[in-house]
Amino acid sequence: MSAISAKRKRAIALLSLTSIILVTLDLQGSASASVLRGTFGVFFRPIEGVTRVISRPVSNAWHGITHYNEVTKENDLLREKIAQQEGAAVAAAASVRLSQELLALNGLPTLAGINSVSAQVIGDSPSNYSQNVEINQGSDSGVKVGMPVMNAAGLVGKITKVFPRRSIVMLITDPEYALSVKVINNPEAASPISDPEASASTSSTTTTTTTIPKPQPTSNIPGFTPGTTTLPLTTINVPVSIPSLTPTLTVPNNGALPIRETGILEGRGPSRVPIVRFIDSTQRFGTVLPGAPIVTSGGSLSLAPPDIVVGTVSKVTDRLGTSGPILEINLVADLTNLSFVRILLYQPITEQVKP
Amino acid sequence: MLVASVFLGFQTTLFNDMRPFGVMTQVMVLFAACAGVIYGAEIGAVAGLIIGLMYDCVLTTPLGLASLVLGATAFIAGAFPYFVRDSGWWNKAIAVAVASAIGEILFPIAQALVGLGGWVQWRIFVVAAVVALINMVLAPLLMPVVRWTLKETLVG
Repeated sequence: MSAISAKRKRAIALLSLTSIILVTLDLQGSASASVLRGTFGVFFRPIEGVTRVISRPVSNAWHGITHYNEVTKENDLLREKIAQQEGAAVAAAASVRLSQELLALNGLPTLAGINSVSAQVIGDSPSNYSQNVEINQGSDSGVKVGMPVMNAAGLVGKITKVFPRRSIVMLITDPEYALSVKVINNPEAASPISDPEASASTSSTTTTTTTIPKPQPTSNIPGFTPGTTTLPLTTINVPVSIPSLTPTLTVPNNGALPIRETGILEGRGPSRVPIVRFIDSTQRFGTVLPGAPIVTSGGSLSLAPPDIVVGTVSKVTDRLGTSGPILEINLVADLTNLSFVRILLYQPITEQVKP
Repeated sequence: MLVASVFLGFQTTLFNDMRPFGVMTQVMVLFAACAGVIYGAEIGAVAGLIIGLMYDCVLTTPLGLASLVLGATAFIAGAFPYFVRDSGWWNKAIAVAVASAIGEILFPIAQALVGLGGWVQWRIFVVAAVVALINMVLAPLLMPVVRWTLKETLVG
């Protein structure tokens, strides 16, 4: 009996030691961990496929029971939203196109110029303590670690692991996620400044009083300066017809232009919204108001290109000193209901391998 | 191994979709806890370490972390027979629930220890409570399967 117990204790010690070594190797980025996972995957995928088929009816029944009312409400809401947005989408598409043309004309990078790969979400992380999803595109499609992932609404996350035909996406809400973003603050609404000429008059007919001085007498005699003569002013009434004008040009005040300030977006788990920190609290930037949009900042070191929509500010928590406020973010992408995503095949200049 | 693979299959498919109160049912933790409660700390720890290693292969956390956590969970669950003699099925179900809750709390702590901070939040107690409740309900169903599986391998 004691011999069996000693054997078991040795087994426990050996397995524990193996686990500790594996943790160390994986944290060091050793390829052996990936090889082990890949090998296990080869044997496990068929079993998983079979269990998926077997459990699908139960899973569907569960979703039917727990989400029926939500789905019905969501359907009604979506129909209404589609109707509202159909018209707006046309105008928005035109604006986006115009913006992209302008950016391209000025040699600035645009999202339209970046190749992308569409992928389907094929699984969530089977753990309560990680925010990852698995997608069905991998290195065979050109996907690399670090590439940004978005859906139709906005940024979703980034690629953290790549296999030939699948990848793991870390969602924005994961506590390990961090990204440089811009807060676009609109301190004041743009106030229309009227054209002074246009705002001078709105009446159709005005009687204008004009004072015209009488011609001064001049002398052609050298060395002679004519004496100062006070001349009476003559007043005449001239009827002037001015058409009614409305100011057509709206010029925003210099201070009312959207001001951009960069910060770092950090995930905080599924139950808490992400935050943006390290916002510089300068006078010019002003007070950030809820609703201010958050977009990626881009840059040579950032893993995401500029101007991908991330979300809007939902709450501003001011801090003392120069540490700047903490902004809570409402993400535009619904991370609980991901079906299809788009991977931008983007790498910053610093990551690109020169041929 | 085969039975554990089937359980892992259900973990990554069915239980991954079914998330009561937003918390995923942890059938692998349940397996480890059942092993500990039925066969004691030593056999439980060996089973937990092996099951955990398999679970590690489908997780994105460092390889070996779930193995250590499930090994510890099963070991803790294995302390149950020392305290309760002639226990009924409901006593064992409670012990599985308690061990499962401890395992769920240990996991984010282990993550924090290896540098994956951010998961040690108040939410872990909600997760632990829900997992404990679900595992308490499922334990009487799973215990005969675990008993049969380990009798043929580790115990026999």
